[in-house]
Amino acid sequence: MKGNAIGHIGISLCCLAAAAGIQGCGASGNNGKTEIEIVQYKPEAAGYFEMLEQEFNATHDNIQLKVSSPNDAMTILKTRFIREDYPDIIGIGGDINYSYFVDAEILADVSDYAGLQQIKQAYRDIDEALELVPTEGEYAVPYVANAAGVLYNKDMFAEHGWEIPQNWSEFTALCGEIQSEGILPFYFGFKDTWTCLAPWNAMAVSLAPADVTKQVNRGETTFAKEYREVSEKYLDLLQYAVDDPFAYGYNDACTAFARGEAAMYPIGSYAIPQILSVNPDLNIDSFVMPANDDAAKNTLNSGIDLQFCVMADCENKEAAYEVLDFLYEEENIQQYIDAQIAIPCKEGDFVLSPMLDGMTGHIAEGRMTDYQDHYYPSEMAVDAQIQTFLLQKDVDAFLQKFDTDWLRYNRDIIRLVQEYERTHGN
Amino acid sequence: MKNERKRTFLLITIPILALFVCFNTIPLIRGVIYSFTNFKGFGSYDWVGFRNYIDLFSDGRVGKSYLFTFKLAVVTTVVVNVLSLVLALALNSKIRAKSFFRGAYFLPNILGALVVGYIFNYFFTYILPAFGAMIGSDAMSSSILSNPDSAWIGIMVVCSWQAIAMNTIIYISGLQTVPEDVYEAGGLDGATGWKQFRYLTFPLIIPFFSINMVLCVKNFLMVFDQIMALTKGGPAQSTESISYLIYNNGMSGGQFGFQSANAVIFFLVIVTVSVAQMKFTGKKEEQL
Repeated sequence: MKGNAIGHIGISLCCLAAAAGIQGCGASGNNGKTEIEIVQYKPEAAGYFEMLEQEFNATHDNIQLKVSSPNDAMTILKTRFIREDYPDIIGIGGDINYSYFVDAEILADVSDYAGLQQIKQAYRDIDEALELVPTEGEYAVPYVANAAGVLYNKDMFAEHGWEIPQNWSEFTALCGEIQSEGILPFYFGFKDTWTCLAPWNAMAVSLAPADVTKQVNRGETTFAKEYREVSEKYLDLLQYAVDDPFAYGYNDACTAFARGEAAMYPIGSYAIPQILSVNPDLNIDSFVMPANDDAAKNTLNSGIDLQFCVMADCENKEAAYEVLDFLYEEENIQQYIDAQIAIPCKEGDFVLSPMLDGMTGHIAEGRMTDYQDHYYPSEMAVDAQIQTFLLQKDVDAFLQKFDTDWLRYNRDIIRLVQEYERTHGN
Repeated sequence: MKNERKRTFLLITIPILALFVCFNTIPLIRGVIYSFTNFKGFGSYDWVGFRNYIDLFSDGRVGKSYLFTFKLAVVTTVVVNVLSLVLALALNSKIRAKSFFRGAYFLPNILGALVVGYIFNYFFTYILPAFGAMIGSDAMSSSILSNPDSAWIGIMVVCSWQAIAMNTIIYISGLQTVPEDVYEAGGLDGATGWKQFRYLTFPLIIPFFSINMVLCVKNFLMVFDQIMALTKGGPAQSTESISYLIYNNGMSGGQFGFQSANAVIFFLVIVTVSVAQMKFTGKKEEQL
C-alpha cells in the first residue's frame, strides 16, 4: 500500500511538471483583450519602446501591447523559433536574417497593410533585394534607416581648420595632417568583431558593385577581384588608428572618441547615442566615407536599421496592423529619430538630427547603397575574417579564403538561386 | 515483502527517470536527428544525410576550435591541479587562521564566471598594459587578449583562478583521510619532506586526484562563460572553444543542423576522454 501511495505522488508530480510545461508555452490570461507581443532587437531603444507601450495601452482598450527589447535579441528570437514559439511582431534589421526568415516562410505577407504605401520606395526596394530569390509579396515595413560613414569631432576640426575630404587622396592627406599635429586620427574597437564591418561596408559601397554577392552567386565574378581595393585601403587606414585597436571594444572606442582622444571614428550613426551618453556636450557631425578617388562615385552606406515584420503565426493580423499604425504615427517616428539619430523610412516632413548634416546631401539625392554585409551569411563570420585579415595584413590569403568560404557557406543559397533561375527561365 | 520494497524503489525512481528522459534523453535524440538535416533553427529543412559529418572533418574553423579547446584543457588542468595541491598541502598544515584562509581561497568559486570574466577583461585591457608600460616591458604593454598568440593565456589564467578553489577543497578533504599513524610509521623509516609526499601522501589521495582530473578536463573542454566574457572567440577566431562555436553558430549563425553534428561528435569525444581517464587513474589507486 505504501508503495502505491508513493507511486501516486510520483505520478502526480510528473503530471504537475508536464502541466507546468504546457502552461508555460500556452497563452496566458488576457482578460478579453487581444495580446500583441513585439520583440525588437535594438536594446538602445528600449526606453522609447517602453514609453510607447504604456502610451498605447493607455489609449487602446481592445489590445494589450507588450514590447520586449532584450540584449542579443536575434539569438533569443532564433532560440524561440526553434521551439516554434513566435511573437506577433518582430522588429529586426534589414539583413541576412530577414532573408532567411522570408525564405523559411515564417513571416506574413503585409502587402495589404495600408501604411506600407507611405514608406519610401527606396527602402521597399532594399527589402525586395534582400530576398534570396524573388518572392511574391512584401514581408516587412521599414521603420528607420541608419547611415555609416565617418563621425568627426566638429570642434576639433574647426579649431585646426581641417576640411571635410571629398575623395580618397584628400582623406589620407587629412589623416596625415592630423597625425602630424600629434592628434590621433581614428579610434577603432576591433575587439568586438562586428565593428570591423563598419569601415569595410562604408568603403565597399563606393568601390565594389552593390550586387556583388549576387554576381558571385551567379558565378560572374569573384571577391578576389571586387574586394581587392577595399582590402588594401582598409590596411591603409590602420596606420592612422590607435595602437593595437584589437585590444579595445566598441564601448571603449565610443568612450575614447567621446572624450576627444581621437578626431574621427568610422562607424554608423547608431553609435551617436552611445557616444553622447559619455559626453553629452560633444559636437559631432558626420561625412560620407570618401573611399573612391572619384568623388562622384562615393555613395552613402545606408540600410534599414529597424523594420517590423508580422509573423505568419500571428492570430490577429488586424490588431497587429493597429499596433503598426500607432508605431508609424509621425510624432512617434520623430521621437525615435531624435533619440537614436536615425533616418525615417516614411515619407513626410521629419527633422533630421544636425549630427547627420554631412550626409543629408546624399540622403536627399538618394545616393545611398545598402550595407554589403547584409548579404553575408552570418555563419561565415565575415567580421571575424576581416579582423583576422587586419591582424595578419595578407590581402591575397584573405580574399582567397573569402571566395572559398563563400561557396561553402552559400551552397544551399546558390542551389536555390540556380533552381529558381532554371524554373523561371532566366 | 521483499517485492514490495523493490517496487517502492522502482516507483521512487520513475518520476526522476521520466524527468531525465524528458529533459535529457529526448533532446539528445532530437539533436542527433537534426544533425542529419540542414536545419537553420527555423522554417523548413531538408535531409542531407552525412554531409554535416563529412563537412565537420574538412572545416578549418571546427578543427581549430578542437585544437584550441584541447590545448586549453590540458594546460589548465595541469596548472590547476599543481597549484591546488600545493595550496591544499599548505592549508592542511598547522598554520594560523587556517579557517580564514580556507574561506578566502574558496571565494572565487562562489563568484559567477561571467562577473569574474568581465573584471579580468578590464584588468587585461587596461591595468596590466599600464603596469607593463610602467616597468618598461614591451611584451606586457599591450593587452594579451588582443594578440591571437597570447589570448588563450588570458583565458587560462581566468579559468585556473576560479577552478583552483574547488579543487583545493577536494584535495584538503583527501589529505584529511590520510591517518596520522601512516606518517609516524613512515617517519621511522626515514620518509620526510618530499619523500613523504611522493611515497605516502600522494598514493593515498590518488582517488581524489583522479576525480579532480576528470572534473577539470571535462569542465575545461566545455569552457564557455570565460570565453563569452573575455574574447567572444577572438581575436582572429583564435579562442573559439567547441562549446562556444556550437552555441554561436548553431543559435545565431543559422547552422543548427551542422552544429548539432558537431555536438554529437563532441559528446562522444568527452565520453571517451572521461572513460579513458577513469580507467587509467583507477589502476593506480592504493588501498590501505
